[in-house]
Amino acid sequence: MAEQCSKSLNGLLGGLAQITYYQSPGITEQMLKEQLYPDLPQQDFKILLEKMVGILRSIASADMDFNQLEAFLTAQTKKQKGITLEQAEVLTKFWKTHKVKIRESLINQSKWENCLRNLSWRVDLKSQSRHLDQINTPIAIMEFELGKNDQESEFLCLELDETKVNQLLKKLTEIEESISELSYTN
Amino acid sequence: MPWCQFQFLSSTAGYCGLKSPPKVCNSKRSAAQSKMSAEDLIVKLADSSNNWSKQALQVIRHVWTEQGKLIMTPEAAKHMLTVGQLVDLQWKLGMAISSDSCRSLNHPYVTMMLKVADPSGEIISRSFEMTVPQFRNFSKQFREVATALEMV
Repeated sequence: MAEQCSKSLNGLLGGLAQITYYQSPGITEQMLKEQLYPDLPQQDFKILLEKMVGILRSIASADMDFNQLEAFLTAQTKKQKGITLEQAEVLTKFWKTHKVKIRESLINQSKWENCLRNLSWRVDLKSQSRHLDQINTPIAIMEFELGKNDQESEFLCLELDETKVNQLLKKLTEIEESISELSYTN
Repeated sequence: MPWCQFQFLSSTAGYCGLKSPPKVCNSKRSAAQSKMSAEDLIVKLADSSNNWSKQALQVIRHVWTEQGKLIMTPEAAKHMLTVGQLVDLQWKLGMAISSDSCRSLNHPYVTMMLKVADPSGEIISRSFEMTVPQFRNFSKQFREVATALEMV
């Protein structure tokens, strides 16, 4: 009986994650009730659902580590109309499995700029040119595929010679150094 | 795929012995996007400049008739692009602290702004954002390009 309750709760949490964080189409709260809690009165299901939504939101919003999670769930078990110890155990296992993926989803939800969907490149050798000094010059052609959300991609195609590529590599090294400093500070 | 369109344009320009491939590229791109006939394309090119010889125009008419349909699909035309020159690259390392859906985001990200000059001289700017792992992959690909250039 207890095992069945744990399974149902785990399913409920998975379903809520699909709806809230993974944006899976076709999953609804009513569907979760029918599949996981068919015998539970609607009002009781609503109370359970709201409780779990609230707890999951708090855990995900704070990106809790497992010490924080333990303290938080212990406090929830001591509250009136809080959660049971079995439910706390299910929530802990759930967060262990889904923490990384939910965090990734939250990061993506707050990304509104273009992202780099793909980068392709090739190297050509210029065989004809108006300027003699460009003959036999290796040239990199790079194609950036940019896009945001569900919008269609935009393609940006650039021609870069060796000098330009080396200048850009210097900039990329500066960025890497800044990232290292940031990690060190944190 | 954008590459085959690019190669078609380059090979056509080379076949004609033309001195200004970018102008050919621009004309063919707009011709593909508006699904122009070979005759209309020739008229447009002849009107745009006195530099087109009769022979060059005949070659373009022939190639467009034979191969133009390959690049006149809506998707292909959209992907036809001009090769630009990178004028400037600016960057920013940011840290997203929190958002409405997550109070503890603590997520570093790299934003890049590319300024590109197309063959007509027009400068366009495009920016994009990367996570740190995405930036590291981007950086690794750039180093591969540099190595490939050195080995030519």
